[in-house]
Amino acid sequence: MFTWLVWGLLALPLAWGQPPQMPLPKGVTADAKGYVGSNACRTCHPDVNRDFFRNAHYKGQVSSCEGCHGPGQAHIEGRGDKTKIFAFSEKSPRQTLNRCLECHTQSISRANIRRSEHTQADVVCSSCHSIHKSTTPKFLLAKKQIDLCGNCHSQVRAQFSMPFKHRVNEGVMQCSDCHNPHGTDAPTWRMGQRPRLVAQAQGNEEACLKCHVEKRGPFVFEHTAVRVDGCETCHSPHGSMNARLLKRPVTFTLCLECHNGAGNFGRQGDGIAVQSPSHNMADPRYQNCTTCHVKIHGSNGDRLFRR
Amino acid sequence: MQRLLLCRLFTAFALAQQTVAPTNETVGPPRGLPFEGYNILQNFETGFRFYDVEGNLGKYRSDVNYRRGLRLLSSGLTINSREGKGKYFDEILLNTQGLGNDPYQAAILRVQKNKLYRYDLTWRTNDYYNPALTISNGQHFMNTRRQWQDQTLTLLPQSKYQFFAGYSRNSQSGPGLSTIQLFDSRGNEFQYFSDLRRQQNEIRIGGEVKVTSLKFLWQRGWEWFKDDPREYLGAPSTGNDPSNSTRLTSFNRAEPWRGENPSWRANLLSDGKQWWALNGRFSYVEGRRNFILDESAIGTARFGALANRQYLLFGTGRRPVLAANVTGSIFPTERLSISQHLAFHNTKMEGDASYREFNNSTLQFTNFNFNFLGVRAFTSTTDVNYRVTKQLGLFGGYQFTERLIRSIEQLSDEFSVDKVAAEQTNRLHTGLAGIRLQPVKPLQINLDGELGRADRPIYGLSERNFHSLGARVQFKHKSLLLSAQARNRYNFNSASLWSHSAKSRNYAANATWTPVERFSLDAGYAKIHLDTLTGLAYFANGDQVNNDRSRYVSNIHAIHVLARVMIAKKVDLSTGYTRNQDLGDGRPVAVPQNAPPGSIAGFLQAQTFPLHFASPQARISWHFHPKVRANFGYQYYTYQERFLAQQNYRANTGFVSLLWAF
Repeated sequence: MFTWLVWGLLALPLAWGQPPQMPLPKGVTADAKGYVGSNACRTCHPDVNRDFFRNAHYKGQVSSCEGCHGPGQAHIEGRGDKTKIFAFSEKSPRQTLNRCLECHTQSISRANIRRSEHTQADVVCSSCHSIHKSTTPKFLLAKKQIDLCGNCHSQVRAQFSMPFKHRVNEGVMQCSDCHNPHGTDAPTWRMGQRPRLVAQAQGNEEACLKCHVEKRGPFVFEHTAVRVDGCETCHSPHGSMNARLLKRPVTFTLCLECHNGAGNFGRQGDGIAVQSPSHNMADPRYQNCTTCHVKIHGSNGDRLFRR
Repeated sequence: MQRLLLCRLFTAFALAQQTVAPTNETVGPPRGLPFEGYNILQNFETGFRFYDVEGNLGKYRSDVNYRRGLRLLSSGLTINSREGKGKYFDEILLNTQGLGNDPYQAAILRVQKNKLYRYDLTWRTNDYYNPALTISNGQHFMNTRRQWQDQTLTLLPQSKYQFFAGYSRNSQSGPGLSTIQLFDSRGNEFQYFSDLRRQQNEIRIGGEVKVTSLKFLWQRGWEWFKDDPREYLGAPSTGNDPSNSTRLTSFNRAEPWRGENPSWRANLLSDGKQWWALNGRFSYVEGRRNFILDESAIGTARFGALANRQYLLFGTGRRPVLAANVTGSIFPTERLSISQHLAFHNTKMEGDASYREFNNSTLQFTNFNFNFLGVRAFTSTTDVNYRVTKQLGLFGGYQFTERLIRSIEQLSDEFSVDKVAAEQTNRLHTGLAGIRLQPVKPLQINLDGELGRADRPIYGLSERNFHSLGARVQFKHKSLLLSAQARNRYNFNSASLWSHSAKSRNYAANATWTPVERFSLDAGYAKIHLDTLTGLAYFANGDQVNNDRSRYVSNIHAIHVLARVMIAKKVDLSTGYTRNQDLGDGRPVAVPQNAPPGSIAGFLQAQTFPLHFASPQARISWHFHPKVRANFGYQYYTYQERFLAQQNYRANTGFVSLLWAF
């Protein structure tokens, strides 16, 4: 650890003297032909220019516009000809993606963007981000996250209006708390295929455990299905009709759908045992499984999760 | 210019679908004020919230939870250097929401100086109230406050060499109620008080180095967890079942635990001039948790004898997790992308515990428990994306996963060892194909399908033989956005004596339109349908019931409409309506007519949950001064279900506020 710190501190003065990472196209120097500088752009685009100093892309450099849009001389000479400049509105999704990734590719959060489901569906940078007309304080989003994501994922937006839900509409949570819209590595749960675009927590675990740390364990007696197939085995994370965001309105049906004697894994070998005859399921007393099996996410002392 | 900016803000805010909340319209000159080379924008909205609830207050607090009082509903401050060359900073950004005891409070802060440093802070609080009437007979109650904060300082953020350090904290505290069953497996259930005190702290440091087209990132992190709950019985209890003679006069439990997760993470990223890209990730987290439990219970056992029972438990749980990923992409032509993703993870969970039970002050037994659960998986995913023409694109993919699950469950005492070892391998093959059409520029059509086959799924509801079909259409022209989507997903998981099927069908449509500056509209409808059928076996009234079925049907219809109109030159009106309605399986009442008493009827009555949750809202905002707006917001909530009518409520909420901006 100490070695890393020392190397870091030694590298500090080297890094200080580095030239700024300008968003110029690769292979183009600032004095290359065809570049006219941002002052020329504001003649025709004053609306963009006037507030651009607030923009994350503004670093006080005269070539800010051309860093993304390419050299502007031909565009000016063509009296605003869109074909003579890199106009994002005229480019294919792939070209837009490539242009943004010239600077933004090398980030952990965007490492899987080339294979993400959004990219496959032609949802690229400009579909969600508005460089000139952003309305969010961070990340240059075109709209608030819930509106932005909800435009396509309407059924998810509806789930956040259910009686029990994570507080996204209320503004205390955001979609990106759990999801990485730029693409993710294969999940370490549920056969690695679903849910897609869910960001893993620090410990390579489900995003749920970022906040619900008490359920993380490790426990002596893990609830195997939870650990192997994930929290969505029992929960609907966006919204539910159940007070604990369960997939069924009452608890016992959810439990019994697995605990029914069918062939499975573990101590019973040939299957998870049917409840003992003392569990009279016709009696409401036994229809609230978690009244006794309180530590259902995992227990240190009881393999039946009772304490 | 100003009209353009106002129009822009107007459009964006009008779409914001939110609860009764801060006013979104801006006031004052959006250009901000100049001050010594900086530009300053600031706004505050202060007001008074009110509410009135008729019906179940606990359910209202669980769902909505806005209360009465004075609030700083929102505030914003941005300071930007005009030339990007400020002396100490180039940008300060501070936004807050709900300060002053709203149940949902948040703040973000960013301070940065170009090329030198960037500091980010996120702070959030959520008051969580849950009477949980449908859980454990409503006896698992929580009234807690959860707080998060995350801070990151990045040095040289635009340099080839970057360094960062971060700190996160997450805590949950407050009273709760839980339950325990005593003194034997046929005893009674008792409710006890639980004082929750959970906390997580994380520190991380790391750096990035960029050399030519290669970027290397590393991070070292330490995460600590702790929980110090105090659990006890407030007064002698007769338990849930009055016919059961078990009584509890005293109950105390201390259950502290401490956990830590030191971690390493490294990433290597590269991009080769637009024809290839490569990234790799390696992560290792060593999880550990030490625990102890001391529980004593005194009362009367089922047959009238005095019971004095104590449990002592201590031990350690460990969970090292290793994960590695490599993604390679090549772009042979401008139109073709091929990506290969390989992922591996190995998770080992093992824990040991010494468990002692004293009965009437006499050592009853001592157990030594050891459990191991290992999950090792390898995943290979190949994705191909090809744009045939500007109007037509194709994509497809194949995924293979092999997962090995191993377990050892060992229960032992001084005289015997009961050890069971199990091992299982699962494989999954999934194929995905899709087509993208863009017949005209504003219109996009996406169609896709997925087919998957898994062997030996770990549990009954896992995906086994599944497929899905999806379609999405989007039309975007100027300020009009129309979209519609449909997705069906079917899963069949059947064994010789048992079966499970799940069918979900989702349909949604959405429209957003801002034809003129004075008006905007956002409306949508979604239908979320799910029906599942699962085989059951259980005991009812002393008999084993086989071949019963659990059938769950949910038919949720959700609509939202939000409109904003400038009704006078200086007056804006926003109105909205949201409604979520679950029709269940169409039954008018929860318990079916003529349902025979017994097991099947029990399941039928449980498996549909007709209810509706609706909320109209309106907000009027009067721009009576160049820098000030007066606002009044009102939102009505109604929750009605057919199962537990005692959970129904109606609520009137709202606020009056002044928004001042400069």
